[in-house]
Amino acid sequence: MELSKLEEGSEYVLQRLREAGSTEDLVLARKLSLDLCHARQFALLASVTEALSRRCPDDAQARRLHAQALIEQGYATAAIELLRPLATRLPATDPEQAEVTGLLGRAFKQIFLDANDKTGPMASDALAQAVAYYRRSIEANAADTWHGVNLLALLVKARRLGLDPAPDVTIDVLARKLISRLNKLPEAVRNVWHLAALAEASLGLDDWAAVEGALHRYVADPGVRAFHIASTLKQFTEVWDIEAVDDHGRALANILRARLLSLSTGEVLLSARDLAAARSTQPDAGQLEAVLGELGTQTYRWYMTGLKRAAGVCAIRHSLGARIGTGWLAQARDLGLEREELVVVTNAHVVSGSGAQQSIQPESAEVVFEANAPGQSMGVREILYSSPPDRHDYSILRLSEQPAAIEPLPVARGLPLVEPSTRVLVIGHPGGRELEFSMQDNELLDHDGPTAGKPRSDGVWRVHYRAPTEKGSSGSPVFNGSLWQVIALHRAGGKRGMSRLNGKAGMYEANEGIAIQSIRADVERQRGE
Amino acid sequence: MAHVTFIHGIANKPPPDELLAIWRRALTQAADPLPLGDLGVTSSLVYWADLLNEKPDDDLAAHEGLLEDSVAAIDASGQAEMPVPQTGEEAAFLQAMCRHLTTLDDEAIDRLVVDGKTDGATDPDAGFAAAGVLERVPLPWCLKKPLMLILLRDVHHYLFDRTFAPRGKAPVRIRQTIRQRVIAALSQPGITPPHVVVAHSLGSVIAYDCLKRMEGCVPVDGLITLGSPLGLDEIQDRLQPEWSRAEGFPKDTIRGRWVNLFDRLDPVCGFDPKLASDFRLGGAPCVDDRAVSNTGVWRHSATKYLRQPGFGQALRELLRV
Repeated sequence: MELSKLEEGSEYVLQRLREAGSTEDLVLARKLSLDLCHARQFALLASVTEALSRRCPDDAQARRLHAQALIEQGYATAAIELLRPLATRLPATDPEQAEVTGLLGRAFKQIFLDANDKTGPMASDALAQAVAYYRRSIEANAADTWHGVNLLALLVKARRLGLDPAPDVTIDVLARKLISRLNKLPEAVRNVWHLAALAEASLGLDDWAAVEGALHRYVADPGVRAFHIASTLKQFTEVWDIEAVDDHGRALANILRARLLSLSTGEVLLSARDLAAARSTQPDAGQLEAVLGELGTQTYRWYMTGLKRAAGVCAIRHSLGARIGTGWLAQARDLGLEREELVVVTNAHVVSGSGAQQSIQPESAEVVFEANAPGQSMGVREILYSSPPDRHDYSILRLSEQPAAIEPLPVARGLPLVEPSTRVLVIGHPGGRELEFSMQDNELLDHDGPTAGKPRSDGVWRVHYRAPTEKGSSGSPVFNGSLWQVIALHRAGGKRGMSRLNGKAGMYEANEGIAIQSIRADVERQRGE
Repeated sequence: MAHVTFIHGIANKPPPDELLAIWRRALTQAADPLPLGDLGVTSSLVYWADLLNEKPDDDLAAHEGLLEDSVAAIDASGQAEMPVPQTGEEAAFLQAMCRHLTTLDDEAIDRLVVDGKTDGATDPDAGFAAAGVLERVPLPWCLKKPLMLILLRDVHHYLFDRTFAPRGKAPVRIRQTIRQRVIAALSQPGITPPHVVVAHSLGSVIAYDCLKRMEGCVPVDGLITLGSPLGLDEIQDRLQPEWSRAEGFPKDTIRGRWVNLFDRLDPVCGFDPKLASDFRLGGAPCVDDRAVSNTGVWRHSATKYLRQPGFGQALRELLRV
């Protein structure tokens, strides 16, 4: 089910459960809980299962799913407190018993994974408990492959760390058993996670061909959405540590990231160090085709272009240390300036001559290209051109020195067509975290640029795109979806607080950027004055 | 900002929106991507498969040009039957077209369909005259036979303006109706130049027929033909009297260039793939023939042509993007 439908459904169910709520509403809430869990929408899942549990305190499935939502949101011990009495209360024959036991394993696994010192007493105890609960769950339900795959991943990770909480378990044997069970599962009962589980079980045998074969079918499955790939990628990188294994593993993680970003609403988060590592990883054509199919090379090349663009994105911070926005490197001529020079573009509400509206003045600003030279800051010598926040909201900054070995971002000559299939991409520093890059796929909602637009302010062309899950950064570049050319300068975002464009009535959830060609036209106008 | 009008070729196709999306996606997936939407280039499709087929093809994946395992994937869906000629001229046309495609008789083809054997004739340098072009395509005859029938039916029905009705639909004159659609598409309001027509397979015959032979056809800024059978004498004969070798170029309706992309192993155009010598302007060749090499066994695929760097380059030049 699409995320927007799940959100609408949750809103409806929560409203109904706050009121009288019929039996049908309870049935709907239970079904929705499973859908939310499948879609990994854990914040919504927590709200719906909390509401359901208030109405039906003995509903074991609702309690168990509530616990899962807690674990996934970082509250593992609260989940354990909820699950333990449930495990005691439920009879051994209740099908929820095995699920609850397995989830206790999952909670302890999370405590183990979160620990910085994985050989310390807290982590060791959590590891032992996780393995014990997983094993108990599998013993209670031999057909439970999901907890089996989790046990396998945990044991492989533990043994790599020199720990062995289950010496009697042979990894190969467990992996083969799981693969056999997964293959025997009738088609009709397989869900969208089936192939991901098969790929994980094959990792237990170091059988890369089987891993890639399963992933090939998984990523091409029309039912697979960005959140599925994101979840698999997380499991592969954080639990299986495939990037630490060898080049093949590193390349596979990047291939999955490429696929993730190519999907609607896909988001790839990379640290500056990951970004540099990813740029130096090149899967061979065979591996690309094995996972992504015949067009794998093109998809990967497109993703690598995005990584290259990220190197031209910079953090803008106050010289006293606080980060206040994002910027990006441009060739001055592309912005309508008269000479060849590398300049930084950001919002006027980030850096301005007056320092108004919480912006800082150029003498207080520093620019850091995290992907290229983390920690090395450059001063801002002057603002070459700017337009106030209520107009184009940009400042073009001349730096104290010309950045070496960073390519300026290419600028698009025009805006994309507004069509349902049109995507835009935003690269920024999510939530203000300097060292992390977010590359997000967004749906283009509207723009009021040529040829059909009716701009609200003369000469200011606004671009609207669907708001990302985490608030974006002012000054980020907004790219067209296929060519990675900058089409707009991101300036604002709003949950339902953005007025629609082109004279349309009402507000909606959208991010807003200013079309780069309208900024260029403004620069040329100022030059002519 | 610029506009592209696509015209599709033989066989049944997915619904128009889906087909246009597939073709645009192919441009985006090219080694040198040409995403029309991102570049602000509008596009439309002249769709005519509905005139010859009961309902659109729902096997969308087959039309992405990555598979070669079904009739839909090799431009052969539509379950055509051999056209029944109504005149001696039609019979001669069909015979001549058949001779280009195969030297085998019906019985031999049917035996091969049952056996499911391929021909194994894959040498690209072998002379086309020695055998029909279909013998050179290493696909089983259970795929090649429907392809031959659909090619003959669609080309015949267009060039002889046959009245035809798929099951459940009202009969229409095929050429007349398609021509009306082309004229309407080329003159739709809101198109900003440069306006380029991209026509594949029989679509190139349709484009030429309208641009050269239709009174009142609006001019365009460029034409790109892909896998075009316009080089065949039998087809050129049907385009007379407006067509002549010396003045074949539609100079009144193509303001810019005509680029023709062909793959020598494409069975639809491979027999006579170059057009420059047959569509001259004032006796001088001016069609820009460019050879490409598509991948795989089935070289006529529209999406394979659209992914060619040579196509992207030609379209960029004509669109000036």
